[in-house]
Amino acid sequence: MTDLAHHLLLGFSVVLSVENLMLCLIGCLVGTLIGVLPGIGPLATIAILMPLTYNSEPAGAIIMLAGIYYGSQYGGSTTAILVNMPGESSSVVTALDGHAMARQGKAGKALGIAAIGSFIAGTFATLVLAGIAIPLSKLALSLTAGNYFALMVLGLTLAIVVGGGSLLKAFCALLIGVVMALVGADQITGEPRLTFGTQVLYDGFDIAVVAMGLFGIAEILRNLETPESRPFVGDVVGGLLPNKQDMKASAGAIARGSILGSLVGIVPGNGATLSSFASYALEKRVARHPEEFGKGAIQGVAGPESANNAAAQTTFVPLLTLGLPSTATMALIGGAMTLHGVVPGPQLIQMHPDLFWGVVTSMWLGNLMLVVINLPLIGIWVRLLKVPYHLLFPAIVLICCIGIYSVNSRPTDILMVAAFGAIGYLFYKLKFEPAPLLLGLVLGGMLEDSLHRGLILSRGNLWGFLADPMTLVLLLISVIVVVSALSPSISRRRHVLAEEG
Amino acid sequence: MTSEPVAMTPPSPVPYHSRIDVIGGATIIFIAGLIWYGAIELTVGQMANFASGALPKAISIILFAAGGWVFLHGLMQRGEEAERFEFAFRPTATVVLAIVLFGLFIRGGDFGLISTPQLGLMVVGPLTVFIAGSATPQMQVRQLLILSFGLTAAMLLLFPDLLRAPIPVFPKFIQGAIPPSFGIDAAVRVLYAAYAALAAALYVVFYRMAETQRD
Repeated sequence: MTDLAHHLLLGFSVVLSVENLMLCLIGCLVGTLIGVLPGIGPLATIAILMPLTYNSEPAGAIIMLAGIYYGSQYGGSTTAILVNMPGESSSVVTALDGHAMARQGKAGKALGIAAIGSFIAGTFATLVLAGIAIPLSKLALSLTAGNYFALMVLGLTLAIVVGGGSLLKAFCALLIGVVMALVGADQITGEPRLTFGTQVLYDGFDIAVVAMGLFGIAEILRNLETPESRPFVGDVVGGLLPNKQDMKASAGAIARGSILGSLVGIVPGNGATLSSFASYALEKRVARHPEEFGKGAIQGVAGPESANNAAAQTTFVPLLTLGLPSTATMALIGGAMTLHGVVPGPQLIQMHPDLFWGVVTSMWLGNLMLVVINLPLIGIWVRLLKVPYHLLFPAIVLICCIGIYSVNSRPTDILMVAAFGAIGYLFYKLKFEPAPLLLGLVLGGMLEDSLHRGLILSRGNLWGFLADPMTLVLLLISVIVVVSALSPSISRRRHVLAEEG
Repeated sequence: MTSEPVAMTPPSPVPYHSRIDVIGGATIIFIAGLIWYGAIELTVGQMANFASGALPKAISIILFAAGGWVFLHGLMQRGEEAERFEFAFRPTATVVLAIVLFGLFIRGGDFGLISTPQLGLMVVGPLTVFIAGSATPQMQVRQLLILSFGLTAAMLLLFPDLLRAPIPVFPKFIQGAIPPSFGIDAAVRVLYAAYAALAAALYVVFYRMAETQRD
């Protein structure tokens, strides 16, 4: 316990510098902004803004990117409640009761309980993250190469299965990502691999370039094909602070949402979205008056909002402790760390304690900032919602171009962003999820390396490789996960989630 | 961003060549072939110590099988059940063109088939916004002009001035003509102030004065 207090103190000493406080604030504000605006997701924004963080210290950069991520989960609820248009997929269920409350003139109360629930859940999830990080990373240090390979396979399997859409297509995208990770100079021999004789590919694919194209530009192209609709934005009605009775009614939902969200976030896949759906279902099941759900039940806002915020926080657990990103967003944040010379994984806490505890405590501080700053700012967010998309996207295109050029000063990077933008859009039209591709790109090198080392240790004996109980168990779980995902009832649920998400 | 209206008429059968899964499967098979071709000269090695060609070749085979499955699924679907492949070509081509032009002319260079001069952010900034912005029919030329100069001014302030990002601002011949006593930094500030003033002036001429005349 004293250790934990000591660590949190170290974290606060990092985050309370003027620069890091500013970066945390900017991250939270930008995150809320993109959460509020429909049509720009956190993944695309992080991809676009990643180059901007290259000049800052690694801790500051990760603090800002993390702020964008959980800030966007928070901002999504504002749009969901006020205009019934979830800015984020994790706010889809918030729209059900939140908007119903808004129509009853209780928009302020819904926004207030969403903010309070998010803060409490965020605090809880930060403590969970701080509490389990050291034991998990110690466990990770004792893993063999074979264990690690199996763990990665399980992580990737879960990410694909939870992600929604066609399993086979997601698998194809993942494999393409893994191959892309192998492009360039061979790690051991230095011989060019899959470069097709070009110098451009010798350095391999830059994660920032691929992500900006696949998510930033492709998202613009997706949005451009649908006719622009102006959301009807009403004024915020009613006080922003819930009364004693509302708090009493929501306390259980917030507590359950915090625990559920923290747990679901750790499991690979789209934790924030999944946890909000799960929390809504749970609240409806335990409610005394389930018939009120969908008609403005305050628990229907408090539970999912707490859950998605808690999950957004604990999604960092596998990345920071095992080095395995469980979502495409985490893959990007992991990529940003690597670009700063910080390798995410079990040794992160020992090698960079200031960065690790700085990021953890910044989450708590960021959540506090979100509540304190954002409730008074709701008026501004509402006004921003009225900015038409056609005035917004040329700015995004220009920021993408300048941002990616300023990283390496390579014009070919910009040409690649254009190519991956078109490829990302083509993938979307062909119903191939691009997120597994990014995960494959980040993990491909590690996957090959641990398989290679595992097979060397077992002297090429495949059975020896699999005979390690932990490797075998993890691979068996992967198989069970895939087989169960193919079962008709679960497959149907995945499709529903994919459509709603 | 908006939900599609529900079609009341029964769907017409989708021909094979327009089906999402047929095109998607064929794309994956093509990528698998490309990976195989790229890895053809790489050695596979032994199980105990596999070489650089092992994983690419193995993945190429798996991708070929997976793509083939998707392709066959597309072929065997009933025509009414199949989803039609639709691609918004015009906006895609417009936005991609804007980005490509930015890449080709920001610093210039030798791109294999063509060599390009450096035009810097001063020229490619407004050009990128103008071309990209015209990808949507909602945008008017007047809005585009204001946006082109206004956004470039904001980016010049943010990236080269505040963030000190190493990005060429001026075309080579202008850059060479700036007197060292004046300095590049001062020239950049003059440029974004001028662009901001131009955007503001255009806004007044196009919108404010038009409103006054209407009144």
